[in-house]
Amino acid sequence: MNTITLSPSHPLWPAVWKLIRLRVLISINTFKHTRTIRKILTVVAGLGLLAFAGMIFFLSWRLLDFLRSPQLKQYAGMDVAPFLQAMPVIILTGLFAGILLSSFGVLLQALYLSGDMDFLLASPVPIRAVFVTKLLQAVLPNFGLISLFGLPLLYGLGLSGNYHFFYYPLVLLTMVALTLAAAGLSSLLVILVARILPARRAAEILGFIGAILAFTCGQSGNLFNSFGSSANVSGAQVSNMFSLVARFNTPWLPLNWAGQGLVALGEGRWLTGSLLVALTLGLSAVAFLFALATAERWYYTGWASMQVVSHRKKPLRTARHAVDSGTTRPNALSNVSPVRGLKRLLTAPVWGILWKDFLLLRRDLRNLSQLISPLIFGVIYSVIFLRAGGQPPAGQGEAPDWFTTTFRSLMSYGNILMALFVGWWLLGRLSGMAFSSEGKNYWMLKSAPVRASQMLTAKFLVAYLPTLVLGVFFLAGISILQKTPLGGFLYSLLAVAMCLAGMNGILLAFGALGANFKWEDPRKMSAGQLGCLGQLLGMLYLPVAFLLFIGPLWLVPVFRLPPVAGYLGGLVLGVTITGCCAFLPPWLIRSRVERLGES
Amino acid sequence: MDIRSCQVFWSVLRKDENFIVILGGNMVNSAMIEINNLVKRYGDKAAVNNVSLQVNGGEVFGFLGPNGAGKTTTIKVIVGLLQPTAGTVKVAGYDVQTQPLPAKAASGYVPDTPNLYAKLTGRELLRFVGDLYDLDRKQVAQRTEELLQMFDLTSAADDTVDSYSHGMQQKISLAAALMHDPKVLVLDEPTVGLDPKSARLIKDILRQMADRGAAIFLSTHILEIAERMCDRIGIINKGELIAVGTMDELRSLGKAGETSLEDIFLGLTGGAEEAEIAEILK
Repeated sequence: MNTITLSPSHPLWPAVWKLIRLRVLISINTFKHTRTIRKILTVVAGLGLLAFAGMIFFLSWRLLDFLRSPQLKQYAGMDVAPFLQAMPVIILTGLFAGILLSSFGVLLQALYLSGDMDFLLASPVPIRAVFVTKLLQAVLPNFGLISLFGLPLLYGLGLSGNYHFFYYPLVLLTMVALTLAAAGLSSLLVILVARILPARRAAEILGFIGAILAFTCGQSGNLFNSFGSSANVSGAQVSNMFSLVARFNTPWLPLNWAGQGLVALGEGRWLTGSLLVALTLGLSAVAFLFALATAERWYYTGWASMQVVSHRKKPLRTARHAVDSGTTRPNALSNVSPVRGLKRLLTAPVWGILWKDFLLLRRDLRNLSQLISPLIFGVIYSVIFLRAGGQPPAGQGEAPDWFTTTFRSLMSYGNILMALFVGWWLLGRLSGMAFSSEGKNYWMLKSAPVRASQMLTAKFLVAYLPTLVLGVFFLAGISILQKTPLGGFLYSLLAVAMCLAGMNGILLAFGALGANFKWEDPRKMSAGQLGCLGQLLGMLYLPVAFLLFIGPLWLVPVFRLPPVAGYLGGLVLGVTITGCCAFLPPWLIRSRVERLGES
Repeated sequence: MDIRSCQVFWSVLRKDENFIVILGGNMVNSAMIEINNLVKRYGDKAAVNNVSLQVNGGEVFGFLGPNGAGKTTTIKVIVGLLQPTAGTVKVAGYDVQTQPLPAKAASGYVPDTPNLYAKLTGRELLRFVGDLYDLDRKQVAQRTEELLQMFDLTSAADDTVDSYSHGMQQKISLAAALMHDPKVLVLDEPTVGLDPKSARLIKDILRQMADRGAAIFLSTHILEIAERMCDRIGIINKGELIAVGTMDELRSLGKAGETSLEDIFLGLTGGAEEAEIAEILK
């Protein structure tokens, strides 16, 4: 195994400084070359964050001051001292865990995917300098973000408790030490994971899990609100929460020593405080140096790049098998007229694009996370809707009668509304970015003898079919639970299918006009201003399309007509207009599609 | 795979009745690529300025030029990826602007950077290309296996393209371009990143395709390849075609004593002074 030695002619810290200066220079250049409005927004956002930190500091200081007041203990009967002592422990543990997890993705990118490692390692700078810089680069933004919340809270705690002066610099020092230790351990984790999985695949899985978790956590708040919107937090519950937090403050966890030591120092318990803080700093330094040395050794020796888990390959198809599988397309039905029409529509290039897009959607986890979010969203809001029993929210009883009546009437079509809403969300991704998703591979379609109409048909179907399936899934699920009659369900099914088709046509056309083929990261493929315009038009279109189907049903009693007239009117109006929206926008832009990707 | 494998591959294709028309002898010596007064501007800058040339069937045409001379832009116009500002381009007799579909159906393209669908396997990619060119499924399946075997990619055929090395991506890109046995093959730097064996294989394939009547249009920086492989060579500099002809014709354009393509190229593109300085620095 190679050993890593630091050449005396190339000292570590000047090299680290050089590499950091390079990063700073890149950041300054990026800032310089952005548009003025973005520069102003960046400065304003920076000042806003500072103001926010100041506000947290002030609020936590005053609030903690209040919690420490003897009157509170006397009147409310709550002893908050254990909770206050546990606060630094919670914050510092959160900091460590936060840095450990958040650095993982950044380090994976910095060590394996950024592409500059070979260049840096080949240049005459110590390897350790490269690793230290990469670690700093990975942790600084996250450290800044966590400090923005944690530091004002800890300083507020110190001020409210009249802690000793030493407490304040040591808080910062401890945070830095824990951050470096967490980043070091994170780099080891990254290298271990990259040994098992290809780095790009690991990044995809991480992005998928992160996106799903973030989305689920963001939306679960609404679900919990719907379950307990009327519940008030009692004093006993607050007291329980305080004691639960205090229970976390056990001396057996090494991560707790930092917080306990800082509180002890602040309160003037010098021996305990110094011992615990020194222990924390020492352990952090050892963890950081060990992780750094091990990570760079594993990386340099190539151990980290050798994947140990071999991928299970699919059994190779022989030429004969492949030939056999290719003979299945023509069949006995091909002479039947609708089938012939369908065959004319679904030509080989259309089939090819459909098949390819479905494969790519399924395989690329970064796409999948965007596609699963409407499903999660739909499930959460369906539960909320069904729990409410189709009734409007209680409110303060100030809404006029006509509003309540209209709302209740609308809610009786909640199955359609939910299906349309979920469909709108999914179409925004699938249809709006149907062309952008081709990215730099678009040359394959463009240089092939594929008509614009074939491309538009394929992209229409790629977006429409999964959306229809998801929409029908929600429609059917809610209709069953609402015990909707079969006739009403079939009418709703047609309404959903046609509304989504029209929406798809609009979004597809605008997405194609604003297609962006130059992205590197799929999250940045958004179709630009025209795509946004399409989304806005879609938002306007959807209620109109819904009313075209449902409006006649409401108007029938007013004109004293039989209900069937309402259904017929809805069908004629709705199918005609939504059919036009499905067909016309793509047809109008077909000549523009032929010129896509030429700029 | 060697030259014998290529011959086997082409003999298989010849048996396929769909290709009898394509392989007809009338392609040889007829203009398969005709570029007339081609201009391509990006704003005020002319990337290609009034270029006219012709490539016949059965001919390997080398397109040379310094970086940024307009080679890739010309190629992108030929294969229909870019719209020209002025002028016309015909491929296999079809105007790329007014009859794009038959023109594209007749041509195959290998780009300089093989941007391929990363999450498709090699086999799936070839099947997809077969669908795009509306080939019969049975043919697609058969030709896929043959091409995979010819390019030594059979063992990696079920791996996704993002796990391929640059050379493997280049080879699968070339295999994709050969799926429909094009009358015109346009290649932008085809040998970059290839191992010597694969580079030799590609050279053999191109020569055989030309012998069968196809027109090969390739841009390269490797002057040795151009000198050895190409029947005619065009040199483009600052968007303008400054020389076209066989090696002998180019020699007659250069100064006395300039016998190698490198000397002629440097003499014509103004790189001779830099070459002299480099020689002194040795």
